[in-house]
Amino acid sequence: MKIISLSISGLLLAAGLYILIFGPRPDQAIPPDRQGDTIVEYWEKWVGSESAAMQQIVDDFNNSVGKEKHIYVQYVSTSDVQYKTLLAIAGGDPPDVAGLWHDVVVQYGALGALQPLETMAAAHGITADYYKPVYWNACHYNGHLYALVSTPGAVALFYNKKIFQESAPALRKAGLDPDRPPQTLDELDRYADALNVFSTDSNGRRHLERAGYIPMEPGWYITETQLWFGTDVWDNATGHFILNDPRVVRAYDWVQSYSKKIGGDEIREFVGQNDPTKGGFATAQNAFIAGRVAMEQQGPWMANFIHNLNPAMDGNWAAAPFPSAVPGQKDVTFCPFDALMIPKGAKHPAEAFEFIAYVNRQDVMEKLCSLHCKNSPLAKVSENFLNHHRNPFIRVFEELASSPNAYGPIQSAIGQEVGKDLQALAQGLAALTIDPNTGQPISAAAALDRLQEREEEKLALYRNEQARRAGGQNEP
Amino acid sequence: MSRDAKNLLKGLAFLSPWLVGFAAFTLIPIALSLYYSFCNYSLVQSPLFCGWDNYRQLMHDDVFWLVLRNTFLYAAMALPGGLIFALLLALLLNQKVPGQSIFRTVVFIPSLVPTIASAALWLWLLNQKLGLVNLVLGTIGIHGPGWLTDTRWVLPGLALMSIWACGNTVVIYLAGLQDVPRELYEAAELDGAGPLRRLWHVTLPMLSPVIFFNLVIAIIGVLQVFDAPYLMTQGGPNRASYFFTYYLYDSGFTYLRMGYASAMGWIQLLIVLAMTGLAFWSSKKWVYYQGK
Repeated sequence: MKIISLSISGLLLAAGLYILIFGPRPDQAIPPDRQGDTIVEYWEKWVGSESAAMQQIVDDFNNSVGKEKHIYVQYVSTSDVQYKTLLAIAGGDPPDVAGLWHDVVVQYGALGALQPLETMAAAHGITADYYKPVYWNACHYNGHLYALVSTPGAVALFYNKKIFQESAPALRKAGLDPDRPPQTLDELDRYADALNVFSTDSNGRRHLERAGYIPMEPGWYITETQLWFGTDVWDNATGHFILNDPRVVRAYDWVQSYSKKIGGDEIREFVGQNDPTKGGFATAQNAFIAGRVAMEQQGPWMANFIHNLNPAMDGNWAAAPFPSAVPGQKDVTFCPFDALMIPKGAKHPAEAFEFIAYVNRQDVMEKLCSLHCKNSPLAKVSENFLNHHRNPFIRVFEELASSPNAYGPIQSAIGQEVGKDLQALAQGLAALTIDPNTGQPISAAAALDRLQEREEEKLALYRNEQARRAGGQNEP
Repeated sequence: MSRDAKNLLKGLAFLSPWLVGFAAFTLIPIALSLYYSFCNYSLVQSPLFCGWDNYRQLMHDDVFWLVLRNTFLYAAMALPGGLIFALLLALLLNQKVPGQSIFRTVVFIPSLVPTIASAALWLWLLNQKLGLVNLVLGTIGIHGPGWLTDTRWVLPGLALMSIWACGNTVVIYLAGLQDVPRELYEAAELDGAGPLRRLWHVTLPMLSPVIFFNLVIAIIGVLQVFDAPYLMTQGGPNRASYFFTYYLYDSGFTYLRMGYASAMGWIQLLIVLAMTGLAFWSSKKWVYYQGK
């Protein structure tokens, strides 16, 4: 029996030692002189240079406001932060601050997984007039403020000036000016056609070698295409989806039109070649940086990647508002963002908000957004920020984000699901998937009709569930 | 306390870490998932009983039927392809040739490669324009398809990759081949059976329990395929490689419909049980056990 006891004790000791030596630990140890401070645990998704930038902000806080108020922020950069945070909330032991994406603000807020911040924000002077409206509104759901922005973005058209100049004769022949970007969507299509370069192999097959523009490259904002056609897929006024609105149908018809004129096979081959490892954005394989695409939709951070991956391209590109299909409508954009939230069950919400408020101080926010090469979410922006930004076109992004035609993520708790459905639909249209009933490529109108029905059913189920939880009250 | 009782207690004491772990991390979650499958449950709100609603909704969910179809189509390609290819490899590796152990090692190595690494490798191999597969096809005049970008070819592409990592199956076949009595081959040879007839009438019947074992393991594996499409295609293009487990994962962790995901999990279990049961039922007709 003694041997058994010893064996078990030995095993437990070994396991304990293993966990002690190799087990999980925070990125940074708490300095001895800060052990008595309130420790605010902060989980963030970023890695690499973006994580290092936030580390600078955390260090600044710990050495200034944090020191003064006896708050110490422990910064943990982790993968899959969304799922880990969710499980930690469910388990009752979440971090005090979670750095997540815009698309969970409404979803988590609606489920009560986040703490409302409006009272603390107001006490710190963070109110609607402090923010650009698009970000402020997107941080709200059902009258509550559930997040504040850490770094935002705004989508614009990036175009390769060198390709424009090299293709000047072709552009002029098409009646286009090689010295400026397209001003309307119709013009964008004509620029794209003129800038396409095809080759033909020995078997007579045509290959797309360079694309002027294709919606699926990189395709990050393909599900937002309708914004440039004058609408979103969600109607805030009625609280319902409008996926089969004629403007949405036009948008997805436009996505499909590129595959129809270039060819499904050619586009598939081209897109597959651009990102063979599914991680090619931050590499020299990036189609825009490698000069295989002349124009694409991107956020302000692209300037950083261009500079780091192909410095020779500096000065040979420019950014401009992505042209709208609606005559006279200017400065249309989609504004994604990274957000800081306080999960339900966080142990130190007041101290956590001290840190969030610090990040939202104009000077701090501008430092972080400069390091990330992004625009600012705040209403006021200093000249210093604009003049010394790594993106020489930062004013374009600032104007876009301040525009009345700037859209944020949709205000529906099932937005993530709808986004995935729309993504699949866009892929199907771009792939010219054949409709078995007609023998023709699926039509955007029919597919969006079906999707409208599907999403409205899901919305009704979701609302029914929430109404049951609220004891008969329906979701506002 | 009797000696037997003491021994039992000792045995249970040694087993207890596993028993506690099994109960805490497998048994209780399985039982809870059955309960959750009858609830609306978002992880962050308490479960709300909803009866058979999740199962009823699944029956009317287009995506559910799509992923089910995709999973069965993939299984129909990867399962026989993997079993037959592994068997052929095992038969070759069973030949007494110089460097036999090297060949065996080479065949087994892919099964040791982490999925993330093999996914990165196969993303290159299957690339429509730059990939080795299409390059080889091109030399014989075939214009290779977009293996991972064409809705018609993404399932065969993923099945091809799964067949590549068949080292474990080959090793099990090889072990089975060692057990085929030599005298049966000698007797067959005396009766004038050539290599093919020896394969058909001796090797395959004697190997049938091993084939059956590999079949059951493969059924369980292919019906739960997740990691390769998650890493390589994200279920696309146009959900052509969106599989059952992937949709279950999305439902639970992205859409926060854990009750719905639990219902899918139980349906998946029933499907695996039915398919495995079918294999067991059919085994009476084609699996031969020595001495029976």
